[in-house]
Amino acid sequence: MKARLRVDLRLQCAFAVLVVVFGIAGARDTALIQAATYGALYAVVAIGLSLLLGNTNLISIGQAGFFAIGAYAVAYLTASVTWPAGVTPGAQFLVASVLGTLIAGVLGLALGIIALRFSGPYLAMATLAFDAIVIGLLRYVPAFGGVSGITNVPYPIFGSITLSGPNAYWYAWLLVAVAAAATTAMLRGRIGRALEAIRNDPLAAEVVGIPVRRYTVGVFAYAGALAGLAGTFYASFLGLVVPDAVGVTVSIDILLMVILGGSGTVSGAILGAAVIAFTNLYGHSYQNLRPIAYGIAVICVAIFLPHGLVGLLWHRRNVKATVAPVDVPPAPGQTAHAKPQATTPWLEVRGVSKHFGGLVAVDNVSFALENGTVTALIGPNGAGKTTLFNAIDGVVHADTGTILVAGRDVTAWEPHRIARLGVARSFQSARLFGDMTVAENVATSAFATSGRTFDVGAALTRFGIASLRETPARDLAFGDRRRVELARSAAGRPDLLLLDEPAAGLNALERERLRTDIESLRGDGITVLLIEHDMQLVMDVSDRVIVLEFGSVIADGLPREVQTNPAVIEAYLGASA
Amino acid sequence: MIQLLVAGLTVGSTYALVALGIHIILRATRAINFAQGDFVVLGGLFALSFVSQLHVNIWVALLGSTALGFVLGALYERFILRAAARVNEGAVMIASIGTVYVLLYGHALIWGNEPQPLPTFSSAQQVQLGGATIAVQSIWVIALLAVMLAVLYVFFERTVYGKAIRAAANDPIGARLAGINVDRARSVSAAISIALATFAGTIVGPITLVGGSNGITITVKGFVGAILGGLASPIGCTAGGLLVGLIETLLGSRFAHDLVDPLVYAILLVVLLVRPQGLFGGRRIVRD
Repeated sequence: MKARLRVDLRLQCAFAVLVVVFGIAGARDTALIQAATYGALYAVVAIGLSLLLGNTNLISIGQAGFFAIGAYAVAYLTASVTWPAGVTPGAQFLVASVLGTLIAGVLGLALGIIALRFSGPYLAMATLAFDAIVIGLLRYVPAFGGVSGITNVPYPIFGSITLSGPNAYWYAWLLVAVAAAATTAMLRGRIGRALEAIRNDPLAAEVVGIPVRRYTVGVFAYAGALAGLAGTFYASFLGLVVPDAVGVTVSIDILLMVILGGSGTVSGAILGAAVIAFTNLYGHSYQNLRPIAYGIAVICVAIFLPHGLVGLLWHRRNVKATVAPVDVPPAPGQTAHAKPQATTPWLEVRGVSKHFGGLVAVDNVSFALENGTVTALIGPNGAGKTTLFNAIDGVVHADTGTILVAGRDVTAWEPHRIARLGVARSFQSARLFGDMTVAENVATSAFATSGRTFDVGAALTRFGIASLRETPARDLAFGDRRRVELARSAAGRPDLLLLDEPAAGLNALERERLRTDIESLRGDGITVLLIEHDMQLVMDVSDRVIVLEFGSVIADGLPREVQTNPAVIEAYLGASA
Repeated sequence: MIQLLVAGLTVGSTYALVALGIHIILRATRAINFAQGDFVVLGGLFALSFVSQLHVNIWVALLGSTALGFVLGALYERFILRAAARVNEGAVMIASIGTVYVLLYGHALIWGNEPQPLPTFSSAQQVQLGGATIAVQSIWVIALLAVMLAVLYVFFERTVYGKAIRAAANDPIGARLAGINVDRARSVSAAISIALATFAGTIVGPITLVGGSNGITITVKGFVGAILGGLASPIGCTAGGLLVGLIETLLGSRFAHDLVDPLVYAILLVVLLVRPQGLFGGRRIVRD
């Protein structure tokens, strides 16, 4: 992710220089400058789609629909509506432009809500349908001029400046600069990290405290608004707009610009738009051969350059990382900042049940954890342990019963809100964000701490993974994956930590390291609920053991008591002979 | 009314075959083939060349066009879809859009931009049916669609090879372990899918004229049909395609031409929101 952002920023700077040089040197070639001007407007649309496609994996084949809304908003409001006297054409344009951008943004929001329910081919179709409906209505409603569109759109004039004509080139590229700067700032900040996490693993992202739905809808709205904004300039630069210039084929063109240049980068979107603008200009003399060559290029990019042309500069085959040495820290709790023992338990489960169809996964389970202790949740496979975890942190919602976190009823909450109360969790199958480095993975812990900062470096050192800092998570060895996930869930200093079989698949040394890590977390005052099959570990670290069988609690007590409880022995070994 | 119904089913036949083709490639590669409609156009042009250059009977041209589609589909899978599938599903979709450009302008380069007529399947042009005048070719289209569907049903449900292809699409690893050549099964899937497209292009050619048209609209309508009926179910796809043809024709008889497509898409959006598995689909829904 870092390499991509670095290359992206450098390329944007290089493009800025090119744009200035080109604008000065090519000023006399009207056709060339015009192509570059419209290229700039498409680049703005492409920047939005690049963010959408490269950072959320959501596809849209409807961006031209938003572009059309912006263009028609300006065309209709400035050419067909009578304004009160005294409103200058410049002011008219401003009002129309803001309005067009807003409408596009709101419709983007609506499509984003649809995108929450669909992905892949369904979303592609839904966005395409959106564009087709927009274009169809524009053609049909008489006020929008039918097939011939709206002509005589006035040039926006601000005092001595006409926002059009020969200078349009500069204004268009200024718009690109603004869009690029805003998008780059987003990508390099908190939003970019959140989107990258969502793209890698939406569920894990939600659990570390990222509001996945809000981000998804937000990105759709942003991409829609950018396309609308570009459309408003398009109508006034050209002085007219026709429905065919903003149809589905334009949506596909914009998609291809992003793919060609490299999705997920701003520079890729600009490069793709520029390449297509110039091939359109110079290709006219070759008629049918140009689009054929273009099609072949698209196929080649899809097959050989999945990260686009820009990807050539940052995407490298990942080198297998070295495995971090397992070092057992000297003593638990040396960094202890034990939190004051609150009187309300961090977690209380009251009569929780969860059914899947006819299967009762969790059946009327109740318990409260004592703060600052380690409680193990054990039971045969299929006893409902993970389902109970999912109900506690909001991944599934309990059918009946109540989940109280620090005294608050969170039964119906979404996972990211529960995470922000200080609940962290690890998964049975170590769900890391594969494309992010170890340090970036651990840093996502910050989403749950809402502003409270923590030292990523110290967290890495504490869990013995400092040497893996820059390794992409997908290249980690199994044991290291588990340690990184533990670090990610614990780094933000949660109050309640849910660990789902953290010892599964670990070797003896790693298991020992895990034991001291859990003890050290308890030393920090963190309340731990642990699902584990490794009885040695359970007996070593737990203050209390709860046993589930067929979704119900069959034993609850001190480790030693539970170990000798006949019901537990029967559950594990079958009826005694 | 009968007239409208027959016209709707005729238009719908193309969409049904396209929807079915999209379904088959989706099952094999988990991606949408946007070039499906351009292969339909190509099929009509193949038939045209058979008739006008090789001077063969239209029935022979139908066989030839379908066979060429089969070969082309296998090549398409082998050299484009398979390579892109190694990257991801998105790459397959993008590669298929690239193919749209190659086919669309390739048609124009070889056959020109003008739509051309194709001979009908029998000399009789029209027939009276319950007071309505029906084009004989429409009856041929619907009958041939039925024959094709029957052949496909027997192949996929009753032959070992057809079952092997379905197994390879459902669970590639399991199918490999059972000794099925999954790569070849995918090739055959794509070959059948594209053969359906060129077959469709040939049977409707005498009605719609061949060439000079944009295949992407056919793809999109077929896709709409597939989603309406249920992308995960072959029967749903076929029914959905026919339904889109009927809806389009009925709306076209009531509303302005420009309003028909937006209405069809609006119906699609509503169905997506209310019943995402499709009208005739089962519970399963293909995600990603």
